[in-house]
Amino acid sequence: MTRITLGSAVLRGTVATALMASLMSTSALGAPVDLSKWSPEYVRSIAGTEDFDTAADCAKVTPLDYKGRLTFWYQGVFEGDPDLLRQYYKDFFETFRKTYPNIQLEEQALTYNDLLDKFRTALLGNAAPMAVRLQILGGTEFASKGYLEPLKPEDVGYSTEDFWPGAMKAVTWEGVTYGIPTNNETMAFIWNADIFKRAGLDPDKAPATWDDVVKYSKQIHDKLGIAGYGLVARKNAGNTPYRFMPQLWAHGGGVFDEATANPTYEDVQLDSPQSKAALQASYDMYVRDKSVPVSALTNQQADNQPLFLAGQLGMMISHPSDYDVMLDLQKKATGADKDKAQTVIDNMRYGLIPTGSDGKRAVVFGGSNIHILKPEYVEGGKVDEPAAKAIICMWTSPEWSLKMAYAGSNPGNLNGFKTKWMKERLDNIKFLDVTTSMLPYGIPFPALPQAPEIMNIIVPDMLQNALTGAMTVDEAADDAARKVRDLMGGL
Amino acid sequence: MTIVTGKAEARRRLQSGRSGVLRQIWEHRADYAYVLPAIAVMLVVIAYPIYYTIELSFFKTPPGLQLRDKTFIGVDNYTTILTSEVFWRVTWNTLIWTLGSTLIAFVLGFATALALHREFVGRGVLRAILIIPWVISAVAASYIWKWIYHSDFGIIGAVLVGLGLADRPPNFIDSVNTVLPSLIVVNIWREFPFAMIMMMAGLQTVPEQLLRAAQVDGASAWQRFWHVTFPHLRNVSTVTILLLAVANFNSFIIPWIMTGGGPSNASHIWITHIYELAFGRQRWGVASAYSVLLFLTLMTLGYFYVRALSGNERQEGSA
Repeated sequence: MTRITLGSAVLRGTVATALMASLMSTSALGAPVDLSKWSPEYVRSIAGTEDFDTAADCAKVTPLDYKGRLTFWYQGVFEGDPDLLRQYYKDFFETFRKTYPNIQLEEQALTYNDLLDKFRTALLGNAAPMAVRLQILGGTEFASKGYLEPLKPEDVGYSTEDFWPGAMKAVTWEGVTYGIPTNNETMAFIWNADIFKRAGLDPDKAPATWDDVVKYSKQIHDKLGIAGYGLVARKNAGNTPYRFMPQLWAHGGGVFDEATANPTYEDVQLDSPQSKAALQASYDMYVRDKSVPVSALTNQQADNQPLFLAGQLGMMISHPSDYDVMLDLQKKATGADKDKAQTVIDNMRYGLIPTGSDGKRAVVFGGSNIHILKPEYVEGGKVDEPAAKAIICMWTSPEWSLKMAYAGSNPGNLNGFKTKWMKERLDNIKFLDVTTSMLPYGIPFPALPQAPEIMNIIVPDMLQNALTGAMTVDEAADDAARKVRDLMGGL
Repeated sequence: MTIVTGKAEARRRLQSGRSGVLRQIWEHRADYAYVLPAIAVMLVVIAYPIYYTIELSFFKTPPGLQLRDKTFIGVDNYTTILTSEVFWRVTWNTLIWTLGSTLIAFVLGFATALALHREFVGRGVLRAILIIPWVISAVAASYIWKWIYHSDFGIIGAVLVGLGLADRPPNFIDSVNTVLPSLIVVNIWREFPFAMIMMMAGLQTVPEQLLRAAQVDGASAWQRFWHVTFPHLRNVSTVTILLLAVANFNSFIIPWIMTGGGPSNASHIWITHIYELAFGRQRWGVASAYSVLLFLTLMTLGYFYVRALSGNERQEGSA
């Protein structure tokens, strides 16, 4: 018989516990998220089933006592985001500094619409940061030009299969992976049930098709004198493609064949009859029916939010975070406006984005990626790779990829769906089911270096040309298709 | 007797001229030493960027490649610009924007300066209030005006609809027809105080005794203005107009923040178009060629500005 002393028992117990904890915290040993089973029920079933120790995981990539310096730019929160998200961003950087006290972090937050311009300029002057978190559109552009270091999930302790395949496509150029997705999202359709009811529509039923959206928008405008659908067509604003592309794809159109399973991006389809039909729908709402905000050409989604809260807008495409944004805005309202805002919040409904006439449903598969720059493009000519990997490991961890996407997006690391914070999120955030249900309909933007120009300039230009009457719908679509062909031809 | 040929005389003058210049430089060496750091900084931050922009304007910079992969294409970028329909549209917008803003801001500023030149109660307060648009940040002003103009819930629209003067808010910045005039109004609002200050300073220099003499001679108010006041303000007017014109050619903040050049490029002026070409579309070569054209235009205006200033100095010297 072996006699075990109290001391050795404690020691063995501690070792066993530590081993168990380390096994539980290793995502490779947990069952990967099964995307084939994806549904709100499946998401609920896996939420809160696994614990992760972020610091311990990242210590395997970069020791916690590592001494270094890191410059880091990231697409941060903007005016349309809820306060909750601001707090999580603050918490992340505080936690990183506590976890890696010897890494001197110099971070800079930039908004979605400013980041690409500033980053491109910095690259020209070899003054880029060591690491950057870019919108999903940006990865391919900078990878194709040779600015980025190869970087895959395995480099920071995760597995490629822990990330959405569509998201991995957006960080892959010519077979090499140049970044890791931090968050991925699909939007949903939001409407005001009270407005629907007063306009004679079923308050609990979202428009099923885009034709219905046009019809409902007109009905709301004609009966109540307010805007029906929250169209957005500003140039150089990410909001525009995020709202127009689902309409374009649902109609069977596209810039190329990006909505197909294996896109080749060879044939420009912006001038196809299907694409023109999608543009015609926007034209009908803006010009023919005047049933959408007139300010759509100069506004972005952040401008639709107060309109919606004021009960002046019937429906729009947006994140589930809009619920939190509305709560934030309502808190700031005073007097009668406060009650009015509460009525709108009580009447907020979320549904799936409408389909085209043939039942095709689509939404932009959005998100952001994180990258490491090559030293020659970085200020000072040096990249502190361990420091960069430390922050990337933390941001893309199940814990922080979930927390940093808490209100408006979804974790890039699929294991984030297994965390206790996902469970808490499902309990606290209304309508989250709808956006997780939309994820399988997500279509990534074309994984091409030219995608930012196409989505931020050419597509909005097409909309503006048609909606202002500067061109007919046909001419605007033909003009945009020609611009894309010229762009792809190197002009 | 020494016979000096024409060539020898010319050489002698040249040498004497050279030695004269060198002697002057040597005599003022301390002065040159004082300005040397400033000149060095200017060379780095002004001369080099100008040189690089001119150089880049002769290269093709495909958006899918790094800038270092540029290829020499001679004057193709200039040809592309000058044969592009957008260029002429943007140029027309720029002319309307610059001339409209400059002339109306000047006239309004001048009129206000004349009104404030008289003594009346509250003149100081009014003067201070009128300067506010000029001192306010252009970014803040742009956002405020965007809100005022907003096509759905702007103040102007709300007032007009509230008073029953319109069925729906007027469309100021979401229409290709009204966007540029609407932006010009904002620019004038911001700039007229500058013209007002310049002209008020100018009015101080008009000799009071001349105006009184003209009054004694029976000249009407208009005749006193036209024959006495205005001629005295000619130089300051020229300088003010040129400064406003240069500022307006380069004016970026108001059109960019309020409309981003839209809708449908209707409010793009040269400077916003250059920005979009360079930073949005990464056509650095074409954007550089555009910048060179803008630079030449501004240098021309600058030449007239310097000439106007020199005219002032000569006039002051002879007076």
